[in-house]
Amino acid sequence: MKGIPLLILTIFLFSCQTLPLINAPVSPADEKALTCPSPFLKEKYRLVHTIETRMAGNTQSAIIGVTLADPSTRFISCAIITAEGMVLFEAESGPDTLKVNRALPPFDSADFAKNMIEDIKLIFFAPEGKIQKKGNLSDGTTICRYQEENGDWIDVTNDKSEGTAINRYSSAGILKRRIKFNKTAGNIYQSIELQANEAFNYSLLMTLIEAQPVKNE
Amino acid sequence: MRTHCNLYIFVCIIGIFLVLGPLNYAGANDFEQLRKDSVKIKTIQAHFVQKKSMKILSKPLISEGRFYYAAPDSFRWEYFKPLRSIVIAYKNNTKRYIASGEKMVEDKTGGAQAMKIVLNEVAGWMSGKFDQNPSFAATINEGANTRITLTPAEKSMTGMIEKIEITLSKKTATVQSVKITESANNFTQINFDNVEINKAINPSVFQDAQ
Repeated sequence: MKGIPLLILTIFLFSCQTLPLINAPVSPADEKALTCPSPFLKEKYRLVHTIETRMAGNTQSAIIGVTLADPSTRFISCAIITAEGMVLFEAESGPDTLKVNRALPPFDSADFAKNMIEDIKLIFFAPEGKIQKKGNLSDGTTICRYQEENGDWIDVTNDKSEGTAINRYSSAGILKRRIKFNKTAGNIYQSIELQANEAFNYSLLMTLIEAQPVKNE
Repeated sequence: MRTHCNLYIFVCIIGIFLVLGPLNYAGANDFEQLRKDSVKIKTIQAHFVQKKSMKILSKPLISEGRFYYAAPDSFRWEYFKPLRSIVIAYKNNTKRYIASGEKMVEDKTGGAQAMKIVLNEVAGWMSGKFDQNPSFAATINEGANTRITLTPAEKSMTGMIEKIEITLSKKTATVQSVKITESANNFTQINFDNVEINKAINPSVFQDAQ
């Protein structure tokens, strides 16, 4: 029972997280030496993950996610499949297009496809917006801050022990998504945790099944 | 609800035709024979390899698992990899479990009611009445092997399952494969091996998800 107030407090604090203060490099030389973390795809890749959905810390369901992503064109094709092989959702998106080929409940809501594509872009593609600030957080973590065209802020951080993370904030500075790459060595997409701050907070734990670069496809 | 219903139809169809596999098809192209022969089946267990093909995948996504059935209505449909999950039906109670870390936890999104509805349909198939299910039209084609083709008869399945083909070996009198076609580029092929008929199965298989 003691855990419940703590859980509520944690959720409250998470929902109120705002843009952290960035300490700019002290000298131009330090600024030049600071390299922005870049956990993003460099070439077209096909990735297959198991995706575990959690709400309030409890696992709700698990599915298989397939992503085909090309950073040069920002084209994404994706699918959600059950363990039994049934395709629940399939869509593709270009820079300004979104085509849903299949969407079974509960993946058929108007916003689902848009939000899912946005999350995939956040994980695998470098921000489109301009870099606004770079430096370090108070704990020494390297950070680069971008602002997207719609006003949203994207922080990409890297800490030697904690690894790489991406935080997306609204234009008002409210945390909307937190992406954490749990693997500090090897394939960075091996284990990804996405925390979504919505009306009902949820998190996705993605575990890599296979990843392969895609040539001539 | 509709998705869960169809998901469990998807799972159960595969299982049902494994059950209906080891039947006597010598010259039989009528479903009455299936109904008679299905009575002989008390238990079945088999290993399976599932290959999921779709446009977005350059090569099929391969899953492996094991299937258990005990008459009259106990099932265990288990995937070992890549995503560990289990559907267990036992004494009118059907649950789906998924792996979370080292533990198996109940799938909270599964509609228990939907599963119950599906299993009522399945009960009809279990007794060999699969040509009497209004959801599917069934045909049998005799050739080197026997092929049963099911096509959805109800609009609720439109856009989800185009057809289901079950291939039965005449030589070994067991099911060889099930192919579920969702659309032209999207199908699931399940190949069975090591099929064992009427071999005792520990009841805990249908009760314990771990």
